[in-house]
Amino acid sequence: MADYFGEMGWTPLEDGQAPDHFLHFARLLRDFNMFDELNAMNGAKLAPPASKSAVEALPDESVTAKDSQCPVCLKEHVQGETAKKLPCGHLYHNDCILPWLSKTNSCPLCRHELPTDDEDYEAWRKEKKRAKEREIDIENLHNSMFS
Amino acid sequence: MANIAAQRIKREFKEVIKSEEVAKCAIKLELLNDSYTELKGEIAGPPDTPYEGGNFVLEIRVPETYPFNPPKVRFITKIWHPNISSVTGAICLDILKDQWAAAMTLRTVLLSLQALLSAAEPDDPQDAVVARQYKENLEMFKLTAKHWTNVYAGGPFVNSDCDDKIKRLIDMGIEEHQARVALSSYNWVLERATEQLFS
Ligand SMILES: [Zn+2]
Ligand SMILES: [Zn+2]
Repeated sequence: MADYFGEMGWTPLEDGQAPDHFLHFARLLRDFNMFDELNAMNGAKLAPPASKSAVEALPDESVTAKDSQCPVCLKEHVQGETAKKLPCGHLYHNDCILPWLSKTNSCPLCRHELPTDDEDYEAWRKEKKRAKEREIDIENLHNSMFS
Repeated sequence: MANIAAQRIKREFKEVIKSEEVAKCAIKLELLNDSYTELKGEIAGPPDTPYEGGNFVLEIRVPETYPFNPPKVRFITKIWHPNISSVTGAICLDILKDQWAAAMTLRTVLLSLQALLSAAEPDDPQDAVVARQYKENLEMFKLTAKHWTNVYAGGPFVNSDCDDKIKRLIDMGIEEHQARVALSSYNWVLERATEQLFS
């Protein structure tokens, strides 16, 4: 059986590391099913910028599809020109997507999120994902018990 | 104005002009200057809402940083809606704030505003008085919104009871719009509106 920290998806504090109060607060809200409140606190502003490393790692693709349009400037891509490809597959001009990702971390078209360098935001996102997984686990458990 | 913003509005403008919503007269977009920074929008009140039959005019200002920042939009036509200020026309809508994305266009903004008229969000109000009425007395809200649509947006539903009460206040020396606001805010109870106006 996994140990306590493993099961909770937590990492024990290193020697000398101070507890992250935001993380504790997030867990508290999660345990009381109060994510919407946390979301309201976070949702007041745009999500943080995409992390530098994630942006640097974006591949340059040469455009092959006909009639494809850059969703930021709305210009048609010229066949053979290079464009940045986001993990969701959407293509943008360099000059169109970089200013956006330096503001916020998601694809302007489908809102697929890139990682950020913002620890609080990442902690919040991780907790939210866990809460979702727990919900699914509980549902599966119920289904297996009653079907 | 930064090149990208003006060029983008130019393209969008062409796109909107030939869209099916314009063909159906559901939305309209008009340029107000050559630099593409100021536009006038219009949306038709959606069917089966108190805004049906009305035509709502919007002020649209395009920032230099567009489309990386949202356009600034407010209602010019006075409107009674929980998420729109009955005083300034300011709008509370997530896509005009933190949910903006650079792939959105003026067309999507106009359509979202039309959707907002169909589905108010009273828990995220811009106008507290309207939002309270919406939650506590939905029929009264609908009546009031319909009346405002008739008076300010050219809607077809005349409410003679509302008009009579406003007339009574005008006869007491109150300005018409001020009278309408007071009566709307106090569920059309003449005594309460009068009390508030003269206190
Ligand atoms: Zn582009
Ligand atoms: Zn995408």
